[in-house]
Amino acid sequence: MACIFIENNRLVTYCLRFLYASLSWLRTLLSHLERPGRRLQLPRQPWLLALLLLLAAPAFAAPAPASQAATRATYRPPDTERLRELRGQREFQYVDVRSEQSGWDLFWRRFWEWLGELLNTRGGRLTWKYGIYALLVGALVFVVLKLLQVDVTRAFGRAPRTGLLAYDVANEDLETINFDAAIAEAERQENYRVAVRLGYLLALKQLADKGLIRLQPEKTNHDYLYELPEGTLPPAFRELTRQFEFVWYGEHDDLTASQYQQTRSTRLRFLQTLSATRNAA
Amino acid sequence: MENLQPEQPAPDATSAPLPAPLEATGDAGSFAPRTDLSALSRHADAIRAELGKVIVGQQALGELLLTAILADGHVLLEGVPGVAKTLTAKLLARTLAVPFSRLQFTPDLMPSDVLGTAVFRPAQADFEFRPGPIFASVVLIDEINRAPAKTQSALFEVMEERQITQDGTRYAMPAPFVVLATQNPVEQEGTYRLPEAQLDRFLFKLNVGYPTVEEEIAILQGHHAGFGGTPLDVVKAVVSAAELAELREQVRRQHVEPRLLEYIARLVGQTRMHKGLYLGASPRASLALLNGAKALAALRGRDFVTPEDVQYLAPHVLRHRIQLTPEREMEGQTPDDIVKQILQQIEVPR
Repeated sequence: MACIFIENNRLVTYCLRFLYASLSWLRTLLSHLERPGRRLQLPRQPWLLALLLLLAAPAFAAPAPASQAATRATYRPPDTERLRELRGQREFQYVDVRSEQSGWDLFWRRFWEWLGELLNTRGGRLTWKYGIYALLVGALVFVVLKLLQVDVTRAFGRAPRTGLLAYDVANEDLETINFDAAIAEAERQENYRVAVRLGYLLALKQLADKGLIRLQPEKTNHDYLYELPEGTLPPAFRELTRQFEFVWYGEHDDLTASQYQQTRSTRLRFLQTLSATRNAA
Repeated sequence: MENLQPEQPAPDATSAPLPAPLEATGDAGSFAPRTDLSALSRHADAIRAELGKVIVGQQALGELLLTAILADGHVLLEGVPGVAKTLTAKLLARTLAVPFSRLQFTPDLMPSDVLGTAVFRPAQADFEFRPGPIFASVVLIDEINRAPAKTQSALFEVMEERQITQDGTRYAMPAPFVVLATQNPVEQEGTYRLPEAQLDRFLFKLNVGYPTVEEEIAILQGHHAGFGGTPLDVVKAVVSAAELAELREQVRRQHVEPRLLEYIARLVGQTRMHKGLYLGASPRASLALLNGAKALAALRGRDFVTPEDVQYLAPHVLRHRIQLTPEREMEGQTPDDIVKQILQQIEVPR
C-alpha cells in the first residue's frame, strides 16, 4: 500500500499540501498563545502535548517557502551541434537494430525453431518426455558396462580385433615375414634352432589368422594353448610348443638334422590339423 | 631352541595353481633334458609326499617353498592367524635332515637374543661367544613382524651373507641356511612393517589364505580320525644337507636363454618407472627372479627356463619389494595388481 501511495504523485502532493497547511495553522496558533501578558495554557493531557510538539517540529525546522519567482528555472536550449552529434551515436539510436547473422547462425536458429515447434505438439511432448528417460537409461547401462568391463561385441559373436596388428616378436613383424623363404634359408644354413623358431611363429600366425587365438605380446605359449578350442588341436599344439621350448629356450644350437626333422614333422602335422579346423566364429 | 607346539592344521589354497607341465606325447627321447634331473625329481616327490601326509591341498604353496629351498632363498609367509603358516614351515624343515631352530619374535626381543652374545667366563677371565638360535640350517622365525626394527636389523647380515659379525669376529652359518618367516598382515594388532632392506632379502613372499570348503572338510576328517595331535611325528627327513647341496648345484647349471635375462631385467626395471610405485625393485630382485625361475624349471623337469616360469614367479618375487604410491593405495590397488600390469607391458621373448 505504501508503495502505491508513493507512486501516486498526485496523492503525495495533496498530502504534503495538507501537512504544510496544518503546520502553518499550528504556528499561527502558537504565536497567538505567546502574546505578551498572556500565559500559555498547555494542554493537561501529556499525550496531547507530545502530539502538538511533534506536529509543530517540522514547522519550525522547515525553511520558509520560497517565492515562486525566486525558484523559476530558466530554459537553456541544448546545443544543436551537440544534439546532432549525440543523435549520430549508436547508443542513442533507439530503434531495434537487427543483428547481422551468418548463414550458419540462421540455420541453427531455424533448426531450433523447427525443433521447438515439433516438440510443442502433443506427439513431440510425449517423445521428449520418454526420450529423455530412454537416454538416461542408456547412459546408465553404458556406464555400468564400462565399469564391469563387459565386452558387448562378444554378444553378437564378433571377436574384438585388437592386438594382431600391434604384435611383433623382438622387432619382427609377423605380418611381413616370408616364413617359407626364411625357414628354407635357415634349413639351408643348417641353423635348425632358428628354423624351429620360425616354424613356431608361423604356427602362431596361422592360429591367429584363423581367429583361434589372439596374439598379444605379453602372452606365453601356455596362454595360447589354453585359448584353443577343445579337439585335436590342443594336443598337437602342446607337442609343437614342447619341442619349440626345448630347442629355443634350451639353447639347442647343436640340434641335429634328424632332431630337426622330427620337429619339422610335428609342425607339418600341426599345420595339417589346423587347416582341417574351422575358423573361429 | 625348538619349541614345537601342537597346532591346528589349516591348509591354504590361495596361490594360483601351477600350470601343467608340457608332457611329451611323441618321441620324448630326442628332447630329453641334457642334465639328469631324475635325482631332483625324486627328492622333490619325496618332500611333496611327506608334506602331503599332513597338509591338505596347498600344492602351489608347497611347490613354491621347494623352489625357494632349491634356489637358496628365504621365504616370508604372510597370512591371517590359523592358516597353518607355521605348521607348513615346520613340516618343510622336518623333511630336511638339517639342524632346525625356531624363534618366536616378540616386541621385547633383542638382537643378542637372535644372534647370540659374549658371556664372561670368570675361570678363564675372558669372554665366550654363545651362539644364538640363528645358528641352524633351517630357521623358522614365527611372527617376524612383531619385533621392532632394531631386532630386525640383526638379521640383515645373516640373511644376505650367511654370517654374523660379533665383536669383530665373523661366524659363518652352516650350509644350507634358510630362513622361513611367518607374519600376520600389517593391519593386525601389534605388528610392525618390516624394513625394506629386510624384505628385499626374502626370495619370495607367499600369501597364505583360507582353504577351500573341500580342503577344510578334509582337514576336519583327518583331525577327527585322530590325526590332529602331533602331525610332525608322521613326517620324516628325506633329503640330507649334502643331497640338497647337489640339487642346488644342478639348479645353478640350468640354461637361460639370453633374451630371458633381458626379459627379467626389463620386468624388474619397469617397477622403477611405474607411476603407481613409490619404490621399485632392486637388482637383487632380478637375481631372485632368475634363481627362482631356474629352480622352478628344474622342478618341472626342464633344464631350461621359459617365460612361463618367470611370469609365474614374478608376483611372489616382487610383491614385497615394491611400494605403492599413497594414491594407488587409496584406490585399493595391491602390489600384485601392479605386477600384473607390468607383466602385460613387457613382450614375452620368443
